[in-house]
Amino acid sequence: DKCAVSIRPVIICFIPHTGNLISCLDSTFGDLVQIKKQLISVISLCKERGLVHSVKWASELAFALDPLPKNELPPSATFTEEDAQDMDALGLAKSYFDLKEYDRAAYFLRGCRSQKAYFLYMYSRYLSGEKKKDDETVDSLGPLEKGQVRNEALRELRVELSKKHSAGELDGFTLYLYGVVLRKLDLLKEAVDVFVEATHALPLHWGAWLELCNLITNIDMLKSLSLPDCWIRDFFIAHMYTELQMIKEALQKYQSLIESGFSKSTYIVSQIAVAYHNIRDIDQALALFNELREQDPFRIENMDTFSNLLYVRSMKPELSYLAHNLVGIDKYRVETCCVIGNYYSLRSQHEKAALYFQRALKLNPRCLGAWTLMGHEYMEMKNTSAAIQAYRHAIEVNKRDYRAWYGLGQTYEILKMPFYCLYYYRKAHQLRPNDSRMLVALGESYEKLSQHVEAKKCYWRAYTVGDVERMALLKLAKLHEQLNESDDAAQCYIIYIQDIFSCGEQLEHAEVSTALRYLGQYYFKNKLYEEASLCAQRCCDYNDAREEGKALLRQISQVRDHMEASNTTPVRRVSPLDLSSFSP
Amino acid sequence: MASVHESLYFNPMMTNGVVHANVFGIKDWVTPYKISVLALLYEMTTSKPIALQERRRLNKLILPLQQGPDLTLDQFLKTVEECCPQTAYAVKLRLHEMADGELKDMEYFFATLPTPFSAIDSEAYKTSVVGLFMRHMLLAYNKLSFSQVYKLYKALQQYYHSHYSQPGDVQVGLAADDSDMDLTSTEDNVGERMEKEELDTRPEVVDRGPLSQKQAEYFLARQAYLLKNDENKALKPSALQDELNNMLKFNPDFAEAHYLSYLNSMRVQDIFISTHSLLHYFDRLILSGSEGKSNGDEGYGRSLRYAALNLAALHCRFGHYQQADLALQEAIRIAQESNDHVCLQHCLSWLYTLEQMKGSDSSVLTEDSVKMAAHFCLPYLVSLGIQSLVQQGAVQGKTAHELMDALKDTDILHWKHSLSELIDISLAQTTSIWRMYGKSTMAQQQAQLLLNMNSLEQVNFGVQQNNTEAFAVALCHLAELHAEQGLYGAVSEVLKHLKEQFPPHTQHAKLWMLCDLKIQFDRAMNDGKYHLAEPHVTAIAALNKTEGLYRKAQVLKALNRTTEAYSILQRLQLYCEKTKYTEMIIRVMLVTAELHWESSGFATALPLLLQALALARQHHLQALASETILHLAFTQLMLGVPEQALGVLHEAMEPILAHGAVMDKGRALLLAARCQMAMAGTRSNGQRHAALGLAVQSLGEAAAYFSMLDCKERLRDVHYLQARLHHTLGQTPQRNKCAMLFRLLDQELQAPGAAVPLL
Repeated sequence: DKCAVSIRPVIICFIPHTGNLISCLDSTFGDLVQIKKQLISVISLCKERGLVHSVKWASELAFALDPLPKNELPPSATFTEEDAQDMDALGLAKSYFDLKEYDRAAYFLRGCRSQKAYFLYMYSRYLSGEKKKDDETVDSLGPLEKGQVRNEALRELRVELSKKHSAGELDGFTLYLYGVVLRKLDLLKEAVDVFVEATHALPLHWGAWLELCNLITNIDMLKSLSLPDCWIRDFFIAHMYTELQMIKEALQKYQSLIESGFSKSTYIVSQIAVAYHNIRDIDQALALFNELREQDPFRIENMDTFSNLLYVRSMKPELSYLAHNLVGIDKYRVETCCVIGNYYSLRSQHEKAALYFQRALKLNPRCLGAWTLMGHEYMEMKNTSAAIQAYRHAIEVNKRDYRAWYGLGQTYEILKMPFYCLYYYRKAHQLRPNDSRMLVALGESYEKLSQHVEAKKCYWRAYTVGDVERMALLKLAKLHEQLNESDDAAQCYIIYIQDIFSCGEQLEHAEVSTALRYLGQYYFKNKLYEEASLCAQRCCDYNDAREEGKALLRQISQVRDHMEASNTTPVRRVSPLDLSSFSP
Repeated sequence: MASVHESLYFNPMMTNGVVHANVFGIKDWVTPYKISVLALLYEMTTSKPIALQERRRLNKLILPLQQGPDLTLDQFLKTVEECCPQTAYAVKLRLHEMADGELKDMEYFFATLPTPFSAIDSEAYKTSVVGLFMRHMLLAYNKLSFSQVYKLYKALQQYYHSHYSQPGDVQVGLAADDSDMDLTSTEDNVGERMEKEELDTRPEVVDRGPLSQKQAEYFLARQAYLLKNDENKALKPSALQDELNNMLKFNPDFAEAHYLSYLNSMRVQDIFISTHSLLHYFDRLILSGSEGKSNGDEGYGRSLRYAALNLAALHCRFGHYQQADLALQEAIRIAQESNDHVCLQHCLSWLYTLEQMKGSDSSVLTEDSVKMAAHFCLPYLVSLGIQSLVQQGAVQGKTAHELMDALKDTDILHWKHSLSELIDISLAQTTSIWRMYGKSTMAQQQAQLLLNMNSLEQVNFGVQQNNTEAFAVALCHLAELHAEQGLYGAVSEVLKHLKEQFPPHTQHAKLWMLCDLKIQFDRAMNDGKYHLAEPHVTAIAALNKTEGLYRKAQVLKALNRTTEAYSILQRLQLYCEKTKYTEMIIRVMLVTAELHWESSGFATALPLLLQALALARQHHLQALASETILHLAFTQLMLGVPEQALGVLHEAMEPILAHGAVMDKGRALLLAARCQMAMAGTRSNGQRHAALGLAVQSLGEAAAYFSMLDCKERLRDVHYLQARLHHTLGQTPQRNKCAMLFRLLDQELQAPGAAVPLL
């Protein structure tokens, strides 16, 4: 890579101690001290340039590592002649920058020659454009003009940066800025290249990795990139796996990171918790979030995910505690609003819940989860049209949001349009091919449309991909029962019962009694009296099936008496149910 | 970092969770272009009298300028200049004053605009088109905040100066100095700008500003109208999709754009995007319909029903009958639940259409639909149902007067309610029915009537509706009628027009494709070029399976592959009897009879032909009946009863000469001549001469008809017979001439293996 080679010397002369930053390319976690040193130096570099989010990330990670003894601390950055010359202007500009007076900062930096000043100069101009754009948006004339508001500075910045880029004069930070500018101009391909270059030039700047992460859409693209071989790359890959829903791989990555010494990092804990949430391993996720809150009680990030988990488990007091706690910290945060929305939703105060999701959206209209959650609230309030709107918005923000597609399907299902909702369920299924909920929903719709073959296929597939709600088999069995396919129905009931008993936990809607009742009758009809009586006895354990169980037992004993007289052997067609190892 | 800044952004249109596309009721706003239009209007109202012709041209310009998308100043001034150079100059001057002056100049301009409320006599009266536009603009301008006014002024300056900064523009003098002042850096200005342009990968897309809601509505209405009425004049599918995507990028809430996108993707048969757009459209519609209305008749429940119905229609278009059926049932169920009879009627008419498309008998359903639609006063659906019934009736052999009566009744209904689309269909249907009955003149007359009729619909955008199925059908009939008369020049003209009007990817293109193939096939068969006819068979079979099989049997018969041909014909007959396709049954019988001839089984052919004749007469298919009689006469001739044959033939001669194709005329005359010759053999000498003279005459006419079609094989036979006759009559020079003609043709046609048509 030509650019990477040409840039590296620039960095070294500009920050001499980045020698150890570059040395980190020999990826090992063996030397945590080295990593800590690198983190400390990159923190100060980012701080000087106003890259607050990267500073935060690096600091969190540095905090998780053991403190260094005094003599091990990295030396503070050495000055070049240019740096010394620009020092006053830089100091002044930085203070303006911190006060969000970007134009003023840029003005005082315009003549400076050092790389640091140049970055701050360009960055101020960029931020000034962004700020003006946001102000404009509020002040725009009409709905159509909304999309037209642009950051006017972007094109100029791009022209200047591309000149410097082709001359090879950009360092890691300016490369990062160049990439951001390109991304904002929708030149995504170029942006990816530049971000990759930026990570090569300065691997420790997390911002560049994060931007790259947003641009990668699939695993093939990820594999095709040539990334620097550095320990931070593992963080990136793990993050990427989470984004691409490859949860198993992500968890493995994070586990190995923990084992190599980052066990105290709140960042990793939160990421793992989110990953568990994504695969709906609720207990694990809850435990991790609780741990996280103990370590970092004033944390607001990811708390919306935490509240989702609490909501799913209907843990009202915990959710209430969390909501009040967060309001105490900062009530105008998207996450806080989402938590409160969830809280009200759990208390069935759906109007208020919707209100808070709206507030979250006002704070950040691109907040995908809030649109979908608001859709759910409107569904609860039976305001289907508003729900459809909310879901549609969610889809507009992210076409791959399967929950919104699923929600739309549900809406139409409630409106009794099973054929119409098929399209939406199919979309959702496409996005999550291994999620049983979509498959069950599809199956139900097909069943309503009397498309029995498709319905059976869906239910069976839902079972094979790991049925979460454990409804697919029951539905399949009932469908078979309806179609008088008694062998198949019995088979399904058998698997269903084994499934329910083996999973151990008690499910509210489990219909073991139904299954037992049917099986009892079935065995009885097929003259397998042993099994039939076993099922009938089990039936007696359930209130709703007790009478029938007893009746069946009586019938069996009658027939048996009769049989002993005639003494014929029945033909065995279906394997008997083995219940001996399970206890209800 | 990005998210932090985006969080400043909020959506002012959102109230109570529903984003209203237009909460302020602003459909339009001031742009530099609009200021130019205002300046033009101002000049037109205030300046000294303009010549009448120029004024008229300017007046014609106003509406397109108001409604169209924003133009650059160049385009705008050019358009105005074409009408009236003097006004264009005045407008330019006024813009110059504003752009090169100060902000107050623009404010002054708006202040001096004639207010539509005060000026009662002027054209800018408050309810006029111009007045309304000015009021919109004034209102929008007055609503602008301080910074917005300044922004508008900046935009105006840029708009004005971009006009002059283009390289090669001669009129730089007017503003060159000032434009330089505006830009901060001095020297590498041009270079930088060039570079910027170079760097811009998609200059066109970036430069196109968003349309205001008014402009967008106008654009959509225009394109939708063009799509419906004359697709060729609408934007190309990809270009239109680009425009729509652009529009949706700026305003995702603009639901109508989704519908147009649905129509557009239907053009290119893209089921994926069309389904997506259709559902998206209805998702959006459900919202807009929900405001203040209940779930009942008018609210979003209504759009739900129609959403399902439209989905059914979509699947119908793509031939997914099962899906369509399910969607339709859903629509019917929801409509029943909410007692929406109108929607139910629409569903019912789709239901019988679907049944028809699936190939099952749906006349009972259709009758019900007609009755119910009449009950609910839905004239469109009533007459659509009747037309569908007529079509079914015609195929099933209802008597002609019943059908014509029904069509006449619907016509009264159409004219009463001005249903121009149905009038077209009715005329096309009459054409088809006449054609089926074998009355070519009537068919031709009806087709011409349709093509020459002025539609009742308003002519918008200079386009008359002429791309419906009715037109395609009429034109195809016209082409086939001309082909029958051997006017192939006219045929190719008609087909060329069809190809232009209905490009191959469109819905009705299959009609002319089939028609074209049939004509080519018939020509090749008549010329005896069976190797040319063969490839057409595959193409025809792709468009119409039955027709394809029938043609295949014909080719096989011509190539002497009798057994294969026979098995195909048997299969075809069974199939057609099942689907009650009478015309095809008769045709199949005729070809089967011809096959019997080949094996000299004339006696076995006879009952078959009689059966065919009975069928043809029962269904009033005159053309087919005549052809059957020809076959019958030939069979009798071969069985040695020429008197009988001639008697039968005379029955068919009149209708064939009046309505038949040239080919049939020639065949009939040739057959007549042969019968006369056969009869002459039994007569006395004097009578014999007279009879032979008659035969010569018939042969002459037949030769004329055959040469019209360039049908060489038959021509050769005719010349042979002519030569023989002349020989018998002792007319040596004529004999020699005919013999020479025969010899020439015979040399040309040295293709062994192929069968010579007997009849």
